Amino acid sequence: MTETVLETEGLTKYYGRKLALDHMDLKIPRGCICGFVGRNGSGKTTAIKLMLGLLRPTAGASKLLGCDSQQLKPAIRQRVGYVTEGHRLFRWMSIGRLERFQRAFFPKQWDNKFFADMLEYFGLSKKQKIKNLSIGERAQVSLGLALAPHPDVLIMDDPTLGLDAAIRRQFLEGMIELIMREGRTVFFSSHILGDVERVADRILVIDKGVIRADCSVEQFRGVVKKVRTAFEDSVPTQVDIEGLLHVRRGERELQLILVGVDDEKIAEWSASVGAKSHEIVKMNMEDQFIEYTAPPGHQRLFEWEEIIR
Amino acid sequence: MALWVQISAGSGEPIYIQIVEQVGEAIAKGELAAGDRLPAVRKLAAELVVNPNTVARAYGVLEQTGLVTTKTGSGTFVADPKLRSRDATDINILAERMDTLITRGLNLGLDKGDLVNMFKERIKKFARKQRGEKKK
Repeated sequence: MTETVLETEGLTKYYGRKLALDHMDLKIPRGCICGFVGRNGSGKTTAIKLMLGLLRPTAGASKLLGCDSQQLKPAIRQRVGYVTEGHRLFRWMSIGRLERFQRAFFPKQWDNKFFADMLEYFGLSKKQKIKNLSIGERAQVSLGLALAPHPDVLIMDDPTLGLDAAIRRQFLEGMIELIMREGRTVFFSSHILGDVERVADRILVIDKGVIRADCSVEQFRGVVKKVRTAFEDSVPTQVDIEGLLHVRRGERELQLILVGVDDEKIAEWSASVGAKSHEIVKMNMEDQFIEYTAPPGHQRLFEWEEIIR
Repeated sequence: MALWVQISAGSGEPIYIQIVEQVGEAIAKGELAAGDRLPAVRKLAAELVVNPNTVARAYGVLEQTGLVTTKTGSGTFVADPKLRSRDATDINILAERMDTLITRGLNLGLDKGDLVNMFKERIKKFARKQRGEKKK
């Protein structure tokens, strides 16, 4: 039996009249590494704060480790690590002071040695003041603070935002280490699709408060496709194929973004509209995400021809 | 060590396929010989900084195609070439891929003889690399 660690049902949040999260349904089992992606302002932070009981939902409910998020007892909170967006830590404290502060919430589980080892690995000392740290160093401290009590669940709100490439990689290595430990569940939001592809086994795509995809990373990689079809003379005015997300038109070319259409169906369609040839273009995950969440009829700022002229 | 696997997140190929292809290439070139042991899933995952399930999936695909075998408790090994499956559909897929190459070649104005010679040459080079690697 797999235990559900994170669960939401019809979770909805309005800020005044603005809908921030629209009926989110979610079930994250134990051991899952879930990457939560969406553009700025799509509702990621709202969803995370609701799950942690830091915000009140307008409607719906969420559970963390089987407990209503709005009524989390200390015993449940002690099993959860939370890394806030921007790594906001008390600026006036030293790292050592901050550790003592944080340790007080996890009296029985705090791993002093683990925290010290992590500081050493990152080249930090307990005497350093938070206000003198760079964002990368703050990220390292906040990861250490979140991991030192060995939480069952780690929830991170865009933890690699603003980190340079080397520190980001170190951070990911830390995450992989954590994942390897038996049964840890990680839920993290990110805007770097490459990181999600590396680390996550499940991807959750949110757009304007609505969950648009909830599947394995590999499924997502396989399901969103770009197809280029070339025509002898004019392109058909009507494109009728199931799973079509959007079309870009060229003079003798059509570019389709398709979801969940297998290659044979694409070939059939291409033949049926009399295309000269078609090509399934390999997209990386970032391109897939951008195409997948692009609004219908989305126009680019410039077309290439305009720039070249 | 697994220094020969280089993956890139942000490539058009999913990560598990990158691993499958690179292990496949290492076996074809003789860098990995029958009986050689692949790194443990968790070790390779830590080294490549990817989710261990992704590595496990890649190993699963390699096992399905018969390139490697897994012995419970002792690890994953490069399979004996004689025991590798020669699946009819796989061979068909290979044949179809060759069609694409033939099309490109003919479009470039090469004739059939040129193509056959090119193919022979490439195989020779590939084999030479294989022998070169083995000497080390």
